[in-house]
Amino acid sequence: MSLEGYRILLADDEKALTDYLAPILNRAGFSVIVVHDGNTALRYVTEKHPDLIVLDVLMPGLDGREVCRRLRAAGDWTPIIMLTQVNTTVDKVLSLEEGADDYLCKPFDPHELVARVRAVLRRRQVLANQPPLIRASRLRSGNLILDRRTRRAYLGGQMLELTPKALALLEYLMLHPDEVLTRERLLDAVWGWDYPVATRAVDARIAEIRRALGDDPESPNFIETIVGIGYRFLAPVEPLEDGR
Amino acid sequence: MKRRWLLWTILIGFPLLAAFGAAIGLQHGMGSNPVFRLQVRADLGTWILLGNGVVTLILLLGVTGFWGAHYLRRQVLANAQREYSLSRRRFIRHLEHELKNPLAIIRAQLTYLSERAEGVSPERILSDILIQIERLSRLVAHLRQLVELEEQNIECVPVDVASLLCEVVEASQTHPNYEERQVHLLLPRAPWPLPAVNGDRDLLGLAFFNLLDNALKFTRPGDTIEIRAFENGRSVVVEVADTGPGIAEDDLPYIFEELYRGANARGYEGSGLGLALVRAIVKRHGGNVKVRSRLGQGTVFTVSLPIASWPFVTSCYKNVTHRYPADIHLKRKRCII
Repeated sequence: MSLEGYRILLADDEKALTDYLAPILNRAGFSVIVVHDGNTALRYVTEKHPDLIVLDVLMPGLDGREVCRRLRAAGDWTPIIMLTQVNTTVDKVLSLEEGADDYLCKPFDPHELVARVRAVLRRRQVLANQPPLIRASRLRSGNLILDRRTRRAYLGGQMLELTPKALALLEYLMLHPDEVLTRERLLDAVWGWDYPVATRAVDARIAEIRRALGDDPESPNFIETIVGIGYRFLAPVEPLEDGR
Repeated sequence: MKRRWLLWTILIGFPLLAAFGAAIGLQHGMGSNPVFRLQVRADLGTWILLGNGVVTLILLLGVTGFWGAHYLRRQVLANAQREYSLSRRRFIRHLEHELKNPLAIIRAQLTYLSERAEGVSPERILSDILIQIERLSRLVAHLRQLVELEEQNIECVPVDVASLLCEVVEASQTHPNYEERQVHLLLPRAPWPLPAVNGDRDLLGLAFFNLLDNALKFTRPGDTIEIRAFENGRSVVVEVADTGPGIAEDDLPYIFEELYRGANARGYEGSGLGLALVRAIVKRHGGNVKVRSRLGQGTVFTVSLPIASWPFVTSCYKNVTHRYPADIHLKRKRCII
């Protein structure tokens, strides 16, 4: 599955940052167009249809959130990776309403951005003819159904008893199927804080989800442990249209 | 302000007027003696004068009281403002210090790199620069998390403090100083085990871990650390005590402030945000944290958290007992009472 030659729109008003990020993305095999404000970004997307947008939140003119909202409202589901700033809580960014595919907190490792771009593009390729997972209010993987609006999960029609944090973790895992997610990233995304000791908290919640799902860590159907790194949701996930 | 005066006038004026009228009425009705009646009529002006005098006196007292209260309130406000501005200035000074050091290091490293001097390899310098950048990133992230903690919703489910403390102590065993300290965990068994508190288990764990981590960091080999928990009917109280060097009295009022470092804490690694985080977490759970310390003898931190059955707190998750249906995510509210 080659991702070479994909066109990426990089929208960030910090020229000192884009001057270095663009060549790094270029070297990774993508062709990159840089814009420095929200209005130009929006115009470019509607005219040239890039394959992915890397969008900074704080920009002159329209901010990144507004660009994302307007695109989604117009039915444009171009994958978006949001570069968030201080004081943006994660659940807001990953919410159904916001509609970004992924987020990355500044300051980030440029290689992490490349990895995320690849992961988002790959995810979209797998679901080529389906609406993106981030848009779905319900996700299905085998007989597991997660309803993002009512915050409930069902296994074979039976409602699962999960703590809110465990449910949010399951949601994040299901939104990033087949991706190796480090404990640190899960902490950052679901808990909103990342302290070395807290990686145990991730393990505890994964254990809770596994208990609820009856998933054996030795031969898992849903969540695989990647020793020394983190976890991966290995079962395929599909969006479930309302009313089905 | 006008409304307040109207209230005063009505409150004092009307009863006075009524009393005045009653006095005259009483005198009138008193009798058949025409001389006496005449006397009363003649004294009506005096009565009015007297009444006015009393009203003026009471109004004067009211005004003085009002201004006194106003003055006191202003004093208290000014003090709070002064304290706030002082702590803000302290914070900025400390932040400057925390930022200055890594920036100075990066600058020196870059100069060294640009001079292409023999000695340390460029790869080594680049990786050293990265270490400093990570140090700065961590500081920014932790500051952000501290702010978010005050704003975002936190989980509100019953937490078993005893098992949580066991886990925290277990996690601290990887601390490099653990082997050289006597760490004891004391949990009550009689007359009953510790009751549950409401809140976010992971955050509470982080708070206790920070306290224990501090104790391990600032004590010397051979020192004793005790983690004690008990309940007093209203709260679960957790104490983290050590026989370490203690905290200077001058530092004690400030140690929970962001980035503050006491005289005894300088030269140790850390973000300077650990105790601020502890305070923020405990506050979000409707509890409080206190410290007592004696130089050369040791320190004890005391965390009190409201017991789950305490009526004010249970109201934040009314429909949930010890089972957590998935939909409490929608109902969760701030734990603060």
